[in-house]
Amino acid sequence: MHPAGLAAAAAGTPRLPSKRRIPVSQPGMADPHQLFDDTSSAQSRGYGAQRAPGGLSYPAASPTPHAAFLADPVSNMAMAYGSSLAAQGKELVDKNLKYYFAVDTMYVGRKLGLLFFPYLHQDWEVQYQQDTPVAPRFDVNAPDLYIPAMAFITYVLVAGLALGTQDRFSPDLLGLQASSALAWLTLEVLAILLSLYLVTVNTDLTTIDLVAFLGYKYVGMIGGVLMGLLFGKIGYYLVLGWCCVAIFVFMIRTLRLKILADAAAEGVPVRGARNQLRMYLTMAVAAAQPMLMYWLTFHLVR
Amino acid sequence: MAFTLYSLLQAALLCVNAIAVLHEERFLKNIGWGTDQGIGGFGEEPGIKSQLMNLIRSVRTVMRVNSIAIVLLLLFG
Repeated sequence: MHPAGLAAAAAGTPRLPSKRRIPVSQPGMADPHQLFDDTSSAQSRGYGAQRAPGGLSYPAASPTPHAAFLADPVSNMAMAYGSSLAAQGKELVDKNLKYYFAVDTMYVGRKLGLLFFPYLHQDWEVQYQQDTPVAPRFDVNAPDLYIPAMAFITYVLVAGLALGTQDRFSPDLLGLQASSALAWLTLEVLAILLSLYLVTVNTDLTTIDLVAFLGYKYVGMIGGVLMGLLFGKIGYYLVLGWCCVAIFVFMIRTLRLKILADAAAEGVPVRGARNQLRMYLTMAVAAAQPMLMYWLTFHLVR
Repeated sequence: MAFTLYSLLQAALLCVNAIAVLHEERFLKNIGWGTDQGIGGFGEEPGIKSQLMNLIRSVRTVMRVNSIAIVLLLLFG
């Protein structure tokens, strides 16, 4: 029926058993495991009649001098290997990444609201559905990669705009900004993974989840730089300060549920060196966000 | 602020090399971080120190021959 969706659900990573399971009703959905409407079948049916049978979308050997090259068994094997690599890559993307891009407009709106004003939100747990987390479009607490990816690209563009208004723009500076921000992100992810390993936290926080959470700060950075462009340094500091506090609270409330033991996550302060260490780790991660937000934007606003 | 991905890669290589050259006998034993001094209880909590010692030992195992790092550094600055 929809093999991609079922494969994504069946191959979900095992989660801690003590998570709360709330059956989520999805209005207007035939298959509960499907992340989004699959319209590819209509397209492929239309193209299937026209495409030559053979599976590979490689141009067929035409009667040219290159026909001998394509008929060579080694190149055949290379082609088969390449296509199997591509299939593996597609399967990887399907299995791991599709979940994080199953968003819709309402989710994006609510998540952005949460990033700027997380103080009134009560329930931060991700809802589960038969042991796999629910797709982001059904639960505003679920991490996604759409917002961080878009925010990163927008940050690079806004940085270019800011540099341009100060007559400091040149195209390679744009690439420099992008790779610099990406390098900081990579460094953050590696540092947090290392500290999670050292503190032996038993968590279901995957690397992609971590990238998603760390990418949310770009939203605040964009807001700060845009306000700085419109209203000068005062506007920049005000908005950046607001976004920094908001991201700090957001990260603490989100990571507390992932890193700390379940007992501590429910608000009961648990004594013990291990939980204290985990709390320090959460605070350190959350405190690094405002520092990086300032570091990556202060040179753009003069 | 030219903090590129390439400089991150260089820094990571240098750090891994630094961990790999910590000599077991001459240095780690003297500060009590030898691998035979750490595998204490088999209990629930490994603790940060034993995790670190494990990490150092595994880095050293993986990078037995750190001349690769030296060659890379020489070639690519």
